[in-house]
Amino acid sequence: MPRDDSDVNRRTYLKYVGGTAAAVGLAGCSDDGGDGGDGSDGSDGDDGSDGMDGSDGEDGDDEEQLPEPETREEHLQRANLRLNERAPWIFLNRQYSVYGIASRLDWDARRDERIEAQAISVTEGEPSVTITQSSMDSGLDPHDHRETPTDNIVVQAHDGVLGRNADGDIIDALATDYERLEDGRVRFEIRDGVTFHNGDELQPADVAYSVNRVVDPEVGIESPQSDQLAGVTGAEVVDGGVEVTSDGINPIVFSLFASYCKVVQQDWIESRESSEINSDMNGTGPFQVVEYEQDVEIVYEPYEDYWGDAPEIDELTIRAASESSTRVSELLAGETDLVVNVPPQEVSRVRDEDSTEVAAVPSTRVIFNAMRYDVEPFSSPEFRRALNYAIDLDSIIENILQGFADPTGQPTLEGFVGYNEEVDPYPQDVEQAEQLVEDSGHAGAEITLETPVGRYLRDVEIAQAVASQIDELSNVSCEVEQRDFGSLAGEVTSGNIEDMPHFYLLGWGNTTFDASQTIIPLLTSDGALSSYREDEEVDELMADSQSLPGGN
Amino acid sequence: MALGRFLLKRGIQGVLVVWGVVTAVFLLRFITPGDPVTFVAPLDASPELRARIAAELGLDQPLYVQYVDYVGGLLQGDMGYSYLRGTEASTIVFARVPATVELAVAATVVAVVIAIPLGVISATRRREPADYGATLFSLVGISTPNFWLGIMLILVLSVEFGLFPTSRRPIGFFEAFAFLVTVENGLAAPMDVGAFLDGLGTWLWHIALPAVTLGTYFTALITRLTRSGMIEELGQPYVRAARAKGLPESLIQYKHALQNTLIPIVTVLGLQLGTLIGGAVITEAVFSWPGLGTLVIDSINVRDWPLIQGSLIVIGTGFVLINIFVDALYAYLNPRVVH
Repeated sequence: MPRDDSDVNRRTYLKYVGGTAAAVGLAGCSDDGGDGGDGSDGSDGDDGSDGMDGSDGEDGDDEEQLPEPETREEHLQRANLRLNERAPWIFLNRQYSVYGIASRLDWDARRDERIEAQAISVTEGEPSVTITQSSMDSGLDPHDHRETPTDNIVVQAHDGVLGRNADGDIIDALATDYERLEDGRVRFEIRDGVTFHNGDELQPADVAYSVNRVVDPEVGIESPQSDQLAGVTGAEVVDGGVEVTSDGINPIVFSLFASYCKVVQQDWIESRESSEINSDMNGTGPFQVVEYEQDVEIVYEPYEDYWGDAPEIDELTIRAASESSTRVSELLAGETDLVVNVPPQEVSRVRDEDSTEVAAVPSTRVIFNAMRYDVEPFSSPEFRRALNYAIDLDSIIENILQGFADPTGQPTLEGFVGYNEEVDPYPQDVEQAEQLVEDSGHAGAEITLETPVGRYLRDVEIAQAVASQIDELSNVSCEVEQRDFGSLAGEVTSGNIEDMPHFYLLGWGNTTFDASQTIIPLLTSDGALSSYREDEEVDELMADSQSLPGGN
Repeated sequence: MALGRFLLKRGIQGVLVVWGVVTAVFLLRFITPGDPVTFVAPLDASPELRARIAAELGLDQPLYVQYVDYVGGLLQGDMGYSYLRGTEASTIVFARVPATVELAVAATVVAVVIAIPLGVISATRRREPADYGATLFSLVGISTPNFWLGIMLILVLSVEFGLFPTSRRPIGFFEAFAFLVTVENGLAAPMDVGAFLDGLGTWLWHIALPAVTLGTYFTALITRLTRSGMIEELGQPYVRAARAKGLPESLIQYKHALQNTLIPIVTVLGLQLGTLIGGAVITEAVFSWPGLGTLVIDSINVRDWPLIQGSLIVIGTGFVLINIFVDALYAYLNPRVVH
């Protein structure tokens, strides 16, 4: 793509998509707080070949010439390789979601942190199941929330147009077929014979209304989920199907509909006050609400006319306990069957009990230390790479996260579209790190890592380990500053890079399983939360990728 | 008449204190880092959307206008709308009050039932094993952090022995009583005594551990107060006179000495009840008790200021009301304070 004529469009597009993707990620980090996992399928990470071999002093100009990427995925993979080399972050780890579960249940944890009770089966005892989360819902309106706990409560009663299986692959839901008609227009064929819990039949108009209710502030509410359908401008019923329009090609549109936008009944919503919509649900999902007490619990029963496979359990209760030790105690006492976010220090309690076990799954969240490209010493790629070499990631994962994490050397996680298998995590190499610091001209630098407290699983401990390992370099000193998440997030999301901290720990969840929704907001010049706004190569790769088909 | 003037004075002071609390809580929002709009708006929100949200929340107005609006709303029972849930803050806050009051009262009952006999025994058997035991208990009780005690009680009595539930409040105290006073079609329905007893039993079973956890410090404190008060009273000339008259020792201890000891204890009880209402935060979190404490913590985590402010104002007002009540009681018991 010629640079000159594409530049304006590229920047405009990135600004738009980058901004809209932003909320996807921090929403992911703002839901349940910490999670963990058992690391059983984690890659070892450090095999010595780090994809860049520590060639120092270069900034990309003298690299081996790689073939031009052609497909969208190749563009994304190339961007990941480039980012590994330029090291705008200290790449840390992928978090795990760790659940405590009664042994009498059979359930596979999902990578997107959702708990779909329909997938739970009971092998022993009463076929009723209780789930304890860290908090209850912020209201039952499927389009008026952003947090995972509310999601988990809503998804039991509401279906989306598309869905995902436990591995994150897209599956049919209320749509039986979908296709791209042209750039910016896709079509969904809506399943016949589906009924809402009030007995009314699902109409394509309900699907179109649901999409519009999310993306169009004029329809019903100003939904905080509008950015989850990034680029989507509206939906209409055409010849019995639903056609969705987008700005531009929107390569990940199906991926967005697989994760977001629950379908509601237009009449039901329009004939009710907000308070009623927030205290009851009328979806097409496998469970219908029997009892709801705000802040206390919600009880469901299976919906008999559900269009899909009938749930195996006959009663579902969801409650909350904000303290992880309380949740674990409830599980051990047999008062609940499934608890979320078991912290590493509690895992042995769950494992040691015969009646309970741990279920862990790699999540969609990456933890990293961002470095601002425009301030010294972080403006130096050598210095940034030096910090990556200073870190013993395996030891952090083993000792702080008890193995419940995977190391990463790129912003995109394994299994996502655009993940580059050739890029490995940086190995720890103190000599190399010290040499790179010397080469960068910033020997003797004193830096401060700002970290939120209690926002992510063991965030402060990770930050302290990172800082102390950097501090062990003979020519850099590093300390940790603990920050309130609200004020740190306020600075990061201010839109003004001058307000952003120089060096900070953050987590980023991306349930679209697409590299673009991490890289664009966080690592391109117009990314809403970007600390790295100098790399035209990455900008171009991402802009080009967004104009190619091949999203999930 | 003097008592009336005394109460009027206390009432005016109470109003001023509540006003102070409201003002301090209002200002808290502006000196705490983290802009509420950051939490409410989608992260990618344009400056225009942020401005619109700020306007919707009234955050674009000058401080004094916001303050006047807020106080004006409060006077009409309007605490604003929860940023996150969109529902009236007052509804959410007042729904949490019964759980917190129940817990505070239950903790007080635990304290009184255990502490007063223990204090009396300790005072009347000075320097005997029972006294040492009671003193040790009160020392341990005062030194034990709530959260640790709560977790230990859960681990031992709930998880290990299954004697109590680990957490939760499936039914409220007054909800249990509702079984006795049910109305159907405008007529009083027959009392459902079985359901009432079931409900009360469930309530007691669930509140036992939180009440003991919250009440332990209080128990230790009242034990100490009772002991020292009783020792002082037992050394008074009127006790010697009573003994000289040949009154039975139990009558002297329980009727005369204890009654006089109770006057300052009633004051402390009242004041501590207020502290318990505000101080149950940790206990509520450990036991997932749906009171004001958990609401404050949850709201702070998401900067839901209307809920934070509403909760703090209710707690502060409750504290002031209890103080006025205790003052009145004290004035009644000891009319000299009125003068």
